[in-house]
Amino acid sequence: MSETSSSAHDPEPPIRLNLPPLSPSLFDAEPSELQQPNGSAVRHSSDPSSPTSSGYAGERGSSTATTVSQVEDILHNEIQEITIHDPQPLSHSSWLPGKRHSDEDDASISWRRRKKHFFVLSHSGKPIYSRYGDEHKLAGFSATLQAIISFVENGGDNVKLVRAGKHQVVFLVKGPIYLVCISCTEEPYESLRGQLELIHGQIIVILTKSVNRCFEKNPKFDMTPLLGGTELLFSSLVHSFSWNPATFLHAYTCLPLAYATRQAAGAILQDSADSGVLFAILMCRHKVISLVGAQKASLHPDDMLLLANFVMSSETSEAFSPVCLPRYNALAFLYAYIHFFDDDTYLMLLTTSSDAFYHLKDCRISIENVLLKSNVLSEAQRSLIDGGMRVEDLPPLPHSGSSHLGQHRLPSDSPERLREPDCGIGGAAGLWHFIYRSIYLDQYISSEFSSPINTPKQQKRLYRAYQKLFASMHDKGLGPHKTQFRKDENYVLLCWVTPDFELYAAFDPLADKALAIKTCNRVCQWVKDVENEIFLLGASPFSW
Amino acid sequence: MGCGSSFPDRGSRHMGRPHPEDGGGHDARNIRVKLVLLGDSGVGKSCIVLRFVRGQFDATSKVTVGASFLSQTIALQDSTTVKFEIWDTAGQERYAALAPLYYRGAAVAVIVYDITSPESFSKAQYWVKELQKHGSPDIVMALVGNKADLQEKREVAVQDGTEYAEKNGMFFIETSAKTADNINELFEEIAKRLPRPSDIVDYATSKLPPDVLAA
Ligand SMILES: Nc1nc2c(ncn2[C@@H]2O[C@H](COP(=O)(O)OP(=O)(O)O)[C@@H](O)[C@H]2O)c(=O)[nH]1
Ligand SMILES: [Mg+2]
Repeated sequence: MSETSSSAHDPEPPIRLNLPPLSPSLFDAEPSELQQPNGSAVRHSSDPSSPTSSGYAGERGSSTATTVSQVEDILHNEIQEITIHDPQPLSHSSWLPGKRHSDEDDASISWRRRKKHFFVLSHSGKPIYSRYGDEHKLAGFSATLQAIISFVENGGDNVKLVRAGKHQVVFLVKGPIYLVCISCTEEPYESLRGQLELIHGQIIVILTKSVNRCFEKNPKFDMTPLLGGTELLFSSLVHSFSWNPATFLHAYTCLPLAYATRQAAGAILQDSADSGVLFAILMCRHKVISLVGAQKASLHPDDMLLLANFVMSSETSEAFSPVCLPRYNALAFLYAYIHFFDDDTYLMLLTTSSDAFYHLKDCRISIENVLLKSNVLSEAQRSLIDGGMRVEDLPPLPHSGSSHLGQHRLPSDSPERLREPDCGIGGAAGLWHFIYRSIYLDQYISSEFSSPINTPKQQKRLYRAYQKLFASMHDKGLGPHKTQFRKDENYVLLCWVTPDFELYAAFDPLADKALAIKTCNRVCQWVKDVENEIFLLGASPFSW
Repeated sequence: MGCGSSFPDRGSRHMGRPHPEDGGGHDARNIRVKLVLLGDSGVGKSCIVLRFVRGQFDATSKVTVGASFLSQTIALQDSTTVKFEIWDTAGQERYAALAPLYYRGAAVAVIVYDITSPESFSKAQYWVKELQKHGSPDIVMALVGNKADLQEKREVAVQDGTEYAEKNGMFFIETSAKTADNINELFEEIAKRLPRPSDIVDYATSKLPPDVLAA
């Protein structure tokens, strides 16, 4: 299976989208992948002691977590007493069977059968949030979790990961707030931890980090009233973990638009930024149309994700709300003016001033006038319908002249439309899907889903596979160029990481490796050709 | 009553068209008024507004972030039109310090409780006191007992609402956003009680436009 390795290429000059061609030799230099008879993959981690070496396995493959003692799993067989053995290295931690819970609610079968639980609790064990069930009724369970955390904390080390059978329990301690995920989804530790970070971030968005002070005054402080009415924000965030790649890529994505259209939107947003708005963001669902920040202000992709989740979970056509951006300033509220132009497209104007509503409303009216005149709103609607890049439209590599999105889409008999003869579905060489992440821009583009990845279940499975790739590619200690080629019964996955970009591509499991590599080069060239339309250029947070 | 057919103003999220709301003609027959809804979370404030503005009831209501701003114009029998600019607030527990942001300068406050929840009735009384202390002096206040369709679960007697409202010089009505019962009546009654342009006091601050405009 899969190997992660660095190649000793000279570092490329940091020119945007400058592509060193991906060549088969990059892969051939590595030990070839081992294919297990059962189709699952065994990982040879470059760092076997890493607490993150959860290993890669096909969704139904066998677990590679052999360091874990097979204890009764906490959800299906009640635990009675929990002992943490050898908390460091963490992957050796284990839970031992213990005392039975008498609590009816965490004992209920349906509750236990869920694949993934999220809990938030205070350091005194008070429940704050639970993905399933009424968190108040789960007080017994929260206390158990809290006991574990205290135990490990007192041992001088924060517990981060516990394995119990096929379950992983991931902990994140944020001051007085403890976040826990119990999962049997085989997602890597880094992904689950990242999800807990986002849940914590969403709490900060609503309350700011100064909520911690309430616990200083009163350790038994009950936070639930402060979060009253916000359950939907959390459930939609948790849902996005399975459909929105931004949750693990830490990058945002743009709505594909003609360059001139996006420019027109950017120009009018810039005017409002010049009139005292800190951030002006125009979005269509979770995709950015344009965004502008005042001098030196930078917006982190995770903040954008949380902000968009906050706005899209709410019922409003026009609103004004305090909101905190955890990566920008976790201690202070900003004020967000929010306006929906239609069901999908909305404007967010953020300021530091609590009485700016009428000023921002005026800004919005002038922005709206420009957006209408330059057809930005109707173009956005059209883009939503048309979609973005499709693997079927991948142009052939020897490719000259400018390219536009969808140019290759229309005539199916077009000579430009290249299809490998031996793959009936997907794109060239059995390409099913790809994600391209520009490191320099903090943005990614994901191809549209098409046959055969056309059900939410298959999409979720593919994202989970990408997530594992992402986690393993971001293991520390590897060089600047990394490639990975993985094969299981579902896909051939190819990943290519350079200092400028990352490409994740999924192919038919029977795809030819050399052809797949060639196809990845074509994808990168294609992305470069249409970068004007799929990315927001010149707005990198770091260049403001 | 029979006054007022209401017509949607910015009911749904439609493709943007310019809203000529500023600088439009204001005269004695066209009143614009800022209205704030207050009350415990879950009593049905958003549902009341959506029923009034869009004529809909959606039981799976979404979160209200901070405060949602909606407007709706109604015509009274004397052919006056009243445009309500409504602040539907949320999370006052969270943003207690920020509540004045929304009620400052409001000409009308609608304080809502849930007739099945005595706690929400106490919370309503808290808001009344808060507004008496810090609201505009001429504020028109309405006390609303919502979810009147849940008669079998009632825990706050009509009498309690009526008496409390009377003592505090408020207008009282029980509504159901679910069945639409008394929703239009609530806003029509408020419209009738508004000070007419001839006796308007301008309590706008320098930063906010006048809350009740008249030519
Ligand atoms: N039976 C009944 N339920 C209502 C009524 N109004 C609102 N609700 C329900 O009460 C819940 C909270 O309503 P919402 O408008 O979000 O409350 P808010 O927090 O005050 O804005 C929702 O589940 C509504 O479906 C009503 O008149 N009758
Ligand atoms: Mg509400």
